[in-house]
Amino acid sequence: MIVANTFFTRTVRTSPMVMIALLVVPVLGGLLGVLLPAFGWFPALGATEFGLFGFTELFATPGIERMLLLSYGTSLISTLLAFLITVLILASYFNSPWLKRIQRLLGPILVIPHAAAAIAIGFLIAPSGFLSRLFSPWLTGWDTPPDWLFPHDPYGLSIILGLALKELPFLLLIALGVLAQPEIGKVLKQQHKVASSLGYCPMTGFFKVILPSLYGYMRLPILAVLAYSSASVEIPLILGPNTPPTLAVAIMQWFSDVDLSLRIKASSGAIVQILVTLSLLLTWWGIELLVKKCSASWLTNGAREHGGMIIKRFTDVITFIMVSTIALALLGMVFWSFAGFWSYPNLLPDQFMTMHWQSALTQMQTPLFNTLVIAFSSTLLAIILTLLALESEQQSNKTISAVSGLIIYLPLLIPSIAFLFGLVWMFEQVNSQHTYLNVVFAHLLFVLPYVFLSLANSYRRLDPRFSSVAASLGASPSKIFWQLKLPLLISPILIASALGLAISFSQYLPTLLAGAGRINTITTEAVTLANGASRRTSAVYALMQMLLPALFFILAWLTPKIFSRARV
Amino acid sequence: MKSITIPSLVIEKLQLKQKDKVLLSLDEEIIGGQVLTIMGPSGSGKSTLLNWLVGMLPSSFDATGKLYLNGADVSQISSHQRHIGLLYQDPLLFPHLTVEGNIAFAMPKGNKQDRLDEISDALKQVGLSGMEKRCPQSLSGGQQARVALLRVLLSKPKAILLDEPFSKLDSQLRQETRQLVFDEIQRHSLPAVMVTHDESDAIAAQGKVITLDKLI
Amino acid sequence: MLSVNKICQHSFAGFYKALCYLLLLLIPQQALFASESQSNAAAMWENIEMRGTQQSVYFHAWGGDQQINNYIQWVAKQVKQQYDIDLHHVKLTDTSEAVSRVLAEKSASNHRNGQVDLVWINGANFASMAKHKLLALDWADKLPNFALTNPENNPAMTRDFGVPTEGMEAPWGQAALTFYYDSLKVEQPPQTLAELLSWTKQHPGRFTYPKPPEFLGMSFLKYALIILNENQPDNIKDKLYQAATPESEAQTLPALWNFLDELHPNLWRQGHHFVANGLALRRLSGDGELQVSFTFSAAEIPSAIARYDLPDSTRSYRMLDGSLSNIHFVAIPYNSPHLDSAKLVANFLLSPKAQAKKQQTSVWGDSSVLDLSQLSPTQHAYFDMTEKRHLSANIINVDNTRLLSELHPSWSAVITKQWLARYGVQ
Repeated sequence: MIVANTFFTRTVRTSPMVMIALLVVPVLGGLLGVLLPAFGWFPALGATEFGLFGFTELFATPGIERMLLLSYGTSLISTLLAFLITVLILASYFNSPWLKRIQRLLGPILVIPHAAAAIAIGFLIAPSGFLSRLFSPWLTGWDTPPDWLFPHDPYGLSIILGLALKELPFLLLIALGVLAQPEIGKVLKQQHKVASSLGYCPMTGFFKVILPSLYGYMRLPILAVLAYSSASVEIPLILGPNTPPTLAVAIMQWFSDVDLSLRIKASSGAIVQILVTLSLLLTWWGIELLVKKCSASWLTNGAREHGGMIIKRFTDVITFIMVSTIALALLGMVFWSFAGFWSYPNLLPDQFMTMHWQSALTQMQTPLFNTLVIAFSSTLLAIILTLLALESEQQSNKTISAVSGLIIYLPLLIPSIAFLFGLVWMFEQVNSQHTYLNVVFAHLLFVLPYVFLSLANSYRRLDPRFSSVAASLGASPSKIFWQLKLPLLISPILIASALGLAISFSQYLPTLLAGAGRINTITTEAVTLANGASRRTSAVYALMQMLLPALFFILAWLTPKIFSRARV
Repeated sequence: MKSITIPSLVIEKLQLKQKDKVLLSLDEEIIGGQVLTIMGPSGSGKSTLLNWLVGMLPSSFDATGKLYLNGADVSQISSHQRHIGLLYQDPLLFPHLTVEGNIAFAMPKGNKQDRLDEISDALKQVGLSGMEKRCPQSLSGGQQARVALLRVLLSKPKAILLDEPFSKLDSQLRQETRQLVFDEIQRHSLPAVMVTHDESDAIAAQGKVITLDKLI
Repeated sequence: MLSVNKICQHSFAGFYKALCYLLLLLIPQQALFASESQSNAAAMWENIEMRGTQQSVYFHAWGGDQQINNYIQWVAKQVKQQYDIDLHHVKLTDTSEAVSRVLAEKSASNHRNGQVDLVWINGANFASMAKHKLLALDWADKLPNFALTNPENNPAMTRDFGVPTEGMEAPWGQAALTFYYDSLKVEQPPQTLAELLSWTKQHPGRFTYPKPPEFLGMSFLKYALIILNENQPDNIKDKLYQAATPESEAQTLPALWNFLDELHPNLWRQGHHFVANGLALRRLSGDGELQVSFTFSAAEIPSAIARYDLPDSTRSYRMLDGSLSNIHFVAIPYNSPHLDSAKLVANFLLSPKAQAKKQQTSVWGDSSVLDLSQLSPTQHAYFDMTEKRHLSANIINVDNTRLLSELHPSWSAVITKQWLARYGVQ
């Protein structure tokens, strides 16, 4: 393909390099920033000799095995659970209108930040929570809250619940997104029809025909989920045990401990965290191979009916429990945000009032402003970079190489706790004055991959003949880009922007660290308050965290509709 | 009462409607080995008819009438229990299974070795011997079409539906494949319904041809 | 024309007011120092005032309490008016975040342009910053208002957990361990450590303390350690106020571990999980999960009741066998680019106006560090305002118990380490 050499095409051509550099340099630099202290190099503490004492100290920590096991176990089980339920839902409601309904019910959960979700679930399962009130005292006989296990149970069950509920909508929407792509979804649906005409019950047909193909498209998102959950901080912090906590939480606490020499131990911990994440990915891969091997003969043995009805009933029950758990958690949070005193075991607050909203809204202005400025800046940057990189793909007529494709996932696959502390150190080296810029930059690391993944499919799917027709009419590449592709893609661009905003809204650790604590956003305030005393204020902030992204998704969804109506 | 011994597909007083508007009416009997050809422009209700036959009529349509397969009323039976095989213009082979796996998938349960032998025999008959372990994407279009045909036949269907089955093949291949399909239908004595655009398909089928009009 | 005139008048009035106020601040100094050094100090302070105006000050302070945050907002307005300083409250979840930040800056050789101008600090965080030389030296005792704390006769103002402050931090407020309970659910709250033990046996699961090294949890352990060693000879008791040694640990700590071994099975969650901080204690009290709890800032109780976070029937009291008390400070990191402005803010925080405002229960309720006998009648007047108070603001036993001093900071690390080894993994 011959491409004209203009400013536009040159910018486009260099954009993939810029994008890759923006992702690779901070992540690798950040890793270097923890790698050196992990092996004993920390001049500020007078430690200038390489050695393994950081690791020795780490493994001498009481309960370190439990920390590792907790990190490993909770993320593996929660991801497995989320994946299994996703598959069950898809299998049971494939070709049924319920799939759309469940998607609509669960979709909004996706935009709820982890911190807010954890707060809501904590409210639900606490001894004085909504669940316990629902059954007390008429069934349980409790008139004071019971001294029971949840949340903060030592086995991490609360963490698993929180993570699984948060991961499930993500995996489900990924799967539905794959099925919604005409070239994949249509073929899969036809193949399902073929299986059906060959006498396969819909459930078995799904497992034997759809799942093996669909899984290939879901693998990378699943691994990202697994990596994220192994090193996430918010949910284990709010729902997990602390005797001992998960490794990631412990690392965060060591990093911010008064005793500064713990920094070396924390850095070693960050390296071990990467190993834990890596071993999880390997475990998943191993399980995948095993399942593939064991199911090979099962796939073609001709059996057509595998208790489909029982599985379907089971899925119905699971889905019902899940949706009502989420609904109750949200309802409980709304109640708290309007509650006067709420004595146990009353199901409803003793009084309702808007005082908490009023006082929170007056204090929220600065954080709200910061949240919006940072989110809009990082999303705008991400959208521009993504569009340019995708355009360069089309101009050079080949998709981004496999390596680059993986690099886009880099910030999602490498535990953020491992490189963010190093990244702050890097910011220190480069500039320490522009905290806003630092935060936008740190957010970009997490916003860019999602925006790219969200836009790439629509962009690549755009019929190339439009461009050919326009070019034959004498339109320059830049004119085709501005006046043809962008208007055609306005809907996906708006959705990707809303996604980018939502991702930025939810960032806790990057905001806190890169912003030097100077920049408060709704999310940092919400996490600070989650450790605070007032369930009511905390509920207001968590709800605010949910409302913000929801608002922008609705806008992104409505805007093109309004415009197209105006055109008619 | 229809005879049970002769394989047959009976469409009895079918009326397909969309919001009270009648799309098509049909009353036909197809004996095993015969092919009923349905022709007509797009939008004439061909695919709606096929959907009804396999039991996947979208809820926006209404249908009255009955479908008998070998004398049994299957109108209310769900699609996967009807034993009506489908052959599309795309072969729709499963990419995660080998050629052998694709066919084994379709066959009834049974002794593993017996099934494998049957597959080898069948492949040999259509000139694909030795291709058991190949993955479907590595086959040519004609080869894929033949595997798809074997997959349907070895699933032991009681009837077969052909949805524009040859439209994606070039003319030389088209004739060969068409002949193979019709021969096999005869050999297995299967009642068949074919939907097509192509006059030559209709002639080659040598059966009754119904031409639908565009309604809208 | 008329409007311009008005503006001139207005700004002149502001200047005049500030001038009067400055003179007011200088009065006690004149009473204390000899005239030569006095004029010297006054000149130095004038310099600071000249250089420190019209700048930004980033005040890193724990931000988990709305009342305290509001008070800092009030301070920001005041220093804006008085010095045209923009005070930004950087809300921390943990003070150690600021410590880490300054350390990171030092390791990156950023010795002039630090992000932290002022930090709210005491105890182990201070000891750590002082040890790593992260603080500006020798300024706090030069603040004009510092004299109002009467440091000569009040050694607590220059010692932070037993460590000499050496002018690196200025006192800001003081607090004592205060317990609270729901008077509807608990008729007779435990009023000594021994009573607490037997009360938890009768009411298992209704009391707990934050996990060390958290400040409040550590304070409870230190209170217990002091009380449990009360009957030891003086020479052993005194070792608690000196750096911990293996010998002194062996003499004092076993009593604590025996006590905790007996207490833990009857704690909330059988002592398998410990809450993160005092705010979590308050939340669990509001939920009814805990029935007796404690805090370092007694004033948070009436305000929590006003926000419905605690039941109206909550009452507060001090333990009869003693109440651990400490002073909290503000410090300036060595690399603050706004050193003079930070000093002006620190001085304002020590002013009778700011200290009296802070002491009001409806504002914050944090005790003043000023010695009221040192104040002029005008200054004293700030403290004389009466306010309407919730019943929980009247702390039972406040006048008939003694204040216990903080231990040497080395004990915190020792207790934390051994506590984590004993109870950290369950």
